[in-house]
Amino acid sequence: MGASLEEKGVWLQLVATVLGLGAYFVVAGLMLSAGVTALPAYVPLFIVTVVMMVALMVAGFVVAAIASRPEGRDERDRLIGWRAENNSSWVLAVGVFAAITGMLFSINNVWIAHLLLLSMFLSEVLGQVLRLVYYRRGV
Amino acid sequence: MVPAKVVIRNQIRALRFESGEMTQQDLADRIGVSRQTVNAIEGGKYSPSLEVAFRVAQVFDKPLEAVFQCLMTE
Repeated sequence: MGASLEEKGVWLQLVATVLGLGAYFVVAGLMLSAGVTALPAYVPLFIVTVVMMVALMVAGFVVAAIASRPEGRDERDRLIGWRAENNSSWVLAVGVFAAITGMLFSINNVWIAHLLLLSMFLSEVLGQVLRLVYYRRGV
Repeated sequence: MVPAKVVIRNQIRALRFESGEMTQQDLADRIGVSRQTVNAIEGGKYSPSLEVAFRVAQVFDKPLEAVFQCLMTE
């Protein structure tokens, strides 16, 4: 069974998220280990990451839309999206809880911010992987 | 008490061929879903909403239970 435009879009989001934020965390990890603890120092890196991710997703989606039959989301796409989000949002919740706990112990803001970003990243990746699993194995 | 597991079977593939070898894409266009969704319904990987199930039955001019069958297993 060929992939629908929606499924191709999920693949694109997954690749862009893993490449973009994966690269961000590698560079940010090096900066953190070098002792850069001022949060504004990470802002340019984050902006570049987001712009590159958006550019990659837009370019990929244009190519996918040209190569596929244009069709909107149907009820199966929506159900898959809801179910994947329902089963992946706990990762973000754990990250938020850990960040709040970190704040109680006065941990530096740069670590709190990256913990939140990491949990968002992992939650997003898990959600996209689950979507792809549901597309292939059924819901 | 553990409720019986519900398995929904369908006759869409047979009905498509009885209807002049209608393609999955033709059926998908008529019921307003993607071809991949029709494929998933046919293969038992997705149980459609009542709305889509009725639309499928309407396309083949059959009662709902002639298109979809519900089997209860222990």
